[in-house]
Amino acid sequence: MEILSYLDITFFLLASIGTLIGIIFGAIPGMTATMAVAVCLPLTYALGLEHGLALLLGLYVGGISGGMVPAVLLNIPGTPSSITTTFDGYPMAQKGLGEMALRVCVVSSLVGGLISAMVLFFFAPLLAEFSIKFSYVEKFLIILLALTVIASMSSNMLIGIFSGVIGIWLSLIGTYSLSDGGNGKTRLMFDALEPYLVDGFSLLPVLIGIFGISTILLEAEKGVKSGLSGAKLDMGKGGGFSLGLFKGRLTNLTRSSFIGTFVGMLPGVGGSAASVLAYTQEKNLSRDSSEMGKGAPQGLIASESANNALTGGALIPLLSLGIPGDSTTAVLIGAFTLQGIQVGPLFIPENQDTWTVMMIALVFANVVMFFLMFYAIKYIARVVLVPKYILYPIIVMMCVVGAYAINYGIMFDVWTLLIFGIFGYLIEKIGLEVAPLIIGFILGSSAEVYFVKSLESFGTYSIFFTKSPIAVVLWLLIAASIGFSIVLGLKSRARQKMELSQVTGSTQQGDRHDG
Amino acid sequence: METSPLSVSIDFDSSHLFFPTIIHWALALLFALVVVFRLVPFLAAVKRGEKTLPIIGECMDGVRFFGTLVLIVGYFALMSVVGNLFPYTGYGFLFVSIVFLFLMSMMYMHTRTRRKVITAAINAVVAPSLAWLIFAKLFYITLP
Amino acid sequence: MSMPRLSITLATTALAASMALSSSVALAADGPLRGNIRVVIGSSSTGGDTYQNSAIVVDQLSEALDLNMKVDAVGVSAAYRALDRDPRGNTLMIFHDQAYLGHQYGVEGYKDPFENYIIGPTIAINPGNAYLVPKDSPYQSLDDIIEAVGSGETVRVAIQPGGVSEIGYTALKNAIRIEHPGSEENLVAVNTGSQADKNQLLFDDQADLINGSVQANEQYTRLPEDDQKAMRFVWLTARHDTLQQAHEEGLGQTDRETLLQFVEPNVEVTMGDAGNFAFDKEFFFLYNKDMNPEIVEQIDATLAEIYAEGEIQETQKQSFFIPDFMPSDEAQAHLREKADRYAEIIDSIKP
Repeated sequence: MEILSYLDITFFLLASIGTLIGIIFGAIPGMTATMAVAVCLPLTYALGLEHGLALLLGLYVGGISGGMVPAVLLNIPGTPSSITTTFDGYPMAQKGLGEMALRVCVVSSLVGGLISAMVLFFFAPLLAEFSIKFSYVEKFLIILLALTVIASMSSNMLIGIFSGVIGIWLSLIGTYSLSDGGNGKTRLMFDALEPYLVDGFSLLPVLIGIFGISTILLEAEKGVKSGLSGAKLDMGKGGGFSLGLFKGRLTNLTRSSFIGTFVGMLPGVGGSAASVLAYTQEKNLSRDSSEMGKGAPQGLIASESANNALTGGALIPLLSLGIPGDSTTAVLIGAFTLQGIQVGPLFIPENQDTWTVMMIALVFANVVMFFLMFYAIKYIARVVLVPKYILYPIIVMMCVVGAYAINYGIMFDVWTLLIFGIFGYLIEKIGLEVAPLIIGFILGSSAEVYFVKSLESFGTYSIFFTKSPIAVVLWLLIAASIGFSIVLGLKSRARQKMELSQVTGSTQQGDRHDG
Repeated sequence: METSPLSVSIDFDSSHLFFPTIIHWALALLFALVVVFRLVPFLAAVKRGEKTLPIIGECMDGVRFFGTLVLIVGYFALMSVVGNLFPYTGYGFLFVSIVFLFLMSMMYMHTRTRRKVITAAINAVVAPSLAWLIFAKLFYITLP
Repeated sequence: MSMPRLSITLATTALAASMALSSSVALAADGPLRGNIRVVIGSSSTGGDTYQNSAIVVDQLSEALDLNMKVDAVGVSAAYRALDRDPRGNTLMIFHDQAYLGHQYGVEGYKDPFENYIIGPTIAINPGNAYLVPKDSPYQSLDDIIEAVGSGETVRVAIQPGGVSEIGYTALKNAIRIEHPGSEENLVAVNTGSQADKNQLLFDDQADLINGSVQANEQYTRLPEDDQKAMRFVWLTARHDTLQQAHEEGLGQTDRETLLQFVEPNVEVTMGDAGNFAFDKEFFFLYNKDMNPEIVEQIDATLAEIYAEGEIQETQKQSFFIPDFMPSDEAQAHLREKADRYAEIIDSIKP
C-alpha cells in the first residue's frame, strides 16, 4: 500500500489547518473559499502534491462552510453560495436563535459534503459522461430554471421579476467577453467609465456592497442604535438546537445535497445556482413552506447542504474532464499544473493513489469542519454582542480587503463596494427586492452566453425545445417551477387577505420588506 | 437551413447587442407594468396621505448617514493616494484604515465615555494591523 | 529559439552577466529598482500558462534582486491600467503574443504594445498550441482538411476569436486561399470561449476541428476511439526547432517524438513565398513607456545571470515550457518582425 506513505500525521494536520483557515476566510465578510485557495496555492509547491491537496481541499471545504457565519449573524453572505442562507438565517439570528441556526447549518453542511464526496467517489467518470450531454442549449435551460426561482422567492412576483431583470441587465455591463466566446465589444456604459468597466462589475464586490455596505448605510440612517435588540440571545444549552429539528427533513436534506452535487458538476452554470435551486425546490415541494424566508430551519438545511455538496460536485468535471466546475476549482487546477500533473479524462485511472488520497482528504476535511464549527459556534455567535460602533468599521475594512483582493488587487472593485452599497440602500428604499436582483446578476452573463451561442449554432429558437430529451425534461421542470410559484403566490395572497381582514392597517409596510 | 418564424441569424460582430436588446424590451415592459400596478396606486396613496415617499418623506439621522458616506469616500480615495506613496507595501491600507476605524467608531458612539473611546482607539490600531500582518505579510495579498 | 541561437544569446550576455554576477547583493541595493515590485499578468487565471511561467521567472528574479516581488493575475485591461499609472518601475507586466495579436485583430482595449509600452526580455515559449479532430474524424491530417476545404467541403473550426487561438485558423485559411483560391470561404470559424466550450463543440459535433493545447488535451488523445470524448492531434503550431528542445518524455504519456509528427515540416501550412507558417507562443515582459531605462538594463542583466546559471531552464522544461531568454533590444526586434509577419496573414484574409 503505497498510499499509506502519504497518510502521515502531516497530511491530517495540513487538512485540519486548511479547514480551520478556510472557515476563518469564509467567516470574514468579503473573504471567500476561492481566495483562501488562491493565497495558499504557492505553499503547495513546497509541500508536494498529496500534502498540498490535503491543505487545499481543507481550505475549500472550510471556506464554503465558513460562509454561513456572516450570512446568519450579519446578513452578509460570506461566500456567494451562502446567499440563500441569509434568507432564513438572519431572521433567526434576530430572534436570538443565531446559535441554533448555525448548528442546523453545520449539520446540513456535513451531510451535504459527505453525500457529494460519496457521489464523487463512486460515480465521477459516469457523471462526467453525463455532464457532456449538456451543450449550450441545456445549460441555458438549467440557468433559466434557476432564474424561475425568482418568481417563487419574491414577496411580490411582479416586483421580484422586475428586480431580477435589473440584475441581469447589470451583469451585462462591460464587454461581451472574448473568453466566454463573445466578440469582445463593450456595451451599456459611458465612454468615460470604459477603462474601469471593461470587465464589468465583479460579483463579490457587488455582493458584499449590496448586502454589507448597504446594511451599514441603513443602520447609519437610523442612528446606529446600540447593541442587539433586547439582547435576547439564547446562550448555552446549544441554543435550543437538537437533532429533532431534522425530523421530517431527511428528504429535503438528501434532495438538496443531490441538487448541489449535480449543479456543481456542470461547468459554467455557476456554484451559487446550487443553493438557489435547492432552496426553491424546498419551497416548492415541501408540505409547508409558509415560514421560509422568515426564519425557518428548513431553508437553512436546503441552502447549506446544497452549497457544501457543491464541493464534491465541482470536483467531478475537474478530475474526470480537466474542467473546473466552479471558481474555486478553477484555482485548484493550479495545484496540479504547478506539480506537472495533467488533469483530464485519464487522471483518475492513471493516478489512483492521488485520487484515493484526495477522497480521504475531502471526507476528513468535512468531519474536521463539523467538529471545529459545532463546538466553536457558541463563541462565534457572540459576534452579535460586539457593539456596533466597533463591529461596523471592521466590517467595512474587511469588505475592502476582500473586494480589493478578489481580482488580485484592483481599486475599482473597492469603489464597486460603495456604488452597490448605495444602490442596495436605494433598492431597499424604493421597494425593489435584493435577492432576485442578485440572482439575476449572478446568472445573467452565463444566460447570455448560452442563449446567444445556442442560436448562433442552430439558427432557430425551436432548438430550445427540440435539442434533446434532457431539454424536454428541463422544460417540464421549468413549467412546474413556474406553476408552483403561481400557486404559492395565490395562496399567500389569500392568506394576506385573511390577515388583513383580521388586523386592518398593520400591513402598510407589507410591500416593502423582504428576506 | 429552412426559414421558419422561429429561425434567427446573429451577426457575430453585433452579437454583443443581441441579448441586451431583449433585456431592454423586458425591462421596458416590466417597468410599464410596475408603473401601472404599483407606482400609480402608491402615489395615489401618498396623495391621500396614507403613505409617505421613501427617503424624502422619512426621518433620518442625517449626520450619521451622510457622515458614513463621506468617511467611506474619503477612506477609499485616500487609501490609494497614500498607498501610491509606498508602492505595494499595503501601508496605504494600514494607515488610512486606522484613521477611518477610529473616526467611524467615534461617529457611531452615542455617549462618548473615556472607556469607550479608549476601546475604539485600541480597536482602530489593532484590527487594521492584524489584517495587514495576516494578509499582506503572511499571505502576500496585494493591498493598496 | 533554436539551440545554436540560444547559446549565442547566452554567450553574448555572459559578459554583462559576469559583471552583474560580481555582486548581486550590491546590484539590489544600488540598482534603480526599489521597494516592492508587483508583476501583473494579462491573464486572470492562476492555473494557466501565463501565471505558471511568470511565477517561475519572478521567483528567481526576486531572489537574485533580493526584492519582494509578487505575481498578480489581474487580466489584460486591469494589467495595462496598472502599468500605465506607474512609471516608477514598481509595476511590471508579463504577457505573451496576445499583446500584439489582440491589437492586430482589432480587439477592443488592445493598444499597439510597440507604440505604447517598452517591450522587455522574452522568457519562455509554450510549444503546446494545438489543433485537434475527433478520433473517428475522416480527416487523417491537416493536409486532408486543406484538400477537403479546397474541394468545397465545409469545415468548422472552434476557436476563441481575437488572438493566439485564432492565429492558426487565420494561417490555415490563408494557406487554403493560396492553394485553392476562392474556397477559403469553406473554412468557417465557430467562435467560442474556454477550452471546455471548445471540447464540448467537438463532442456535440458542432465543430470538425478545434483549437486546444497539448497540456489540456493530451489525455483526450489517449482515449479509445469508441469514446465520444476521444480526440487526435493534427497540428501543433510550434516551430520544429522549438519543440525539439522539450524533454524527450514529452508531456503526460505522449513523448516528444510523437508530438514532433504534428509540427512543420511534417505539417505544411504555406504562407506563399514566406515559407511555412509556424507560431511559438512566447512570453515576455512589458514596461511602462516612461520607465527608467536603467531598470530595463537591470532586469536584462539579472535575467541573463539567472539563465547563465542554467537552473531555470530545467524548471521550465519540467513544466513543458521551452526556455527562451532574449534581452530587451533583441526581443523587441524579434517580436516586431514576428508581429509584422502575422499582420500580413491577418490582412490577407480580411474580407
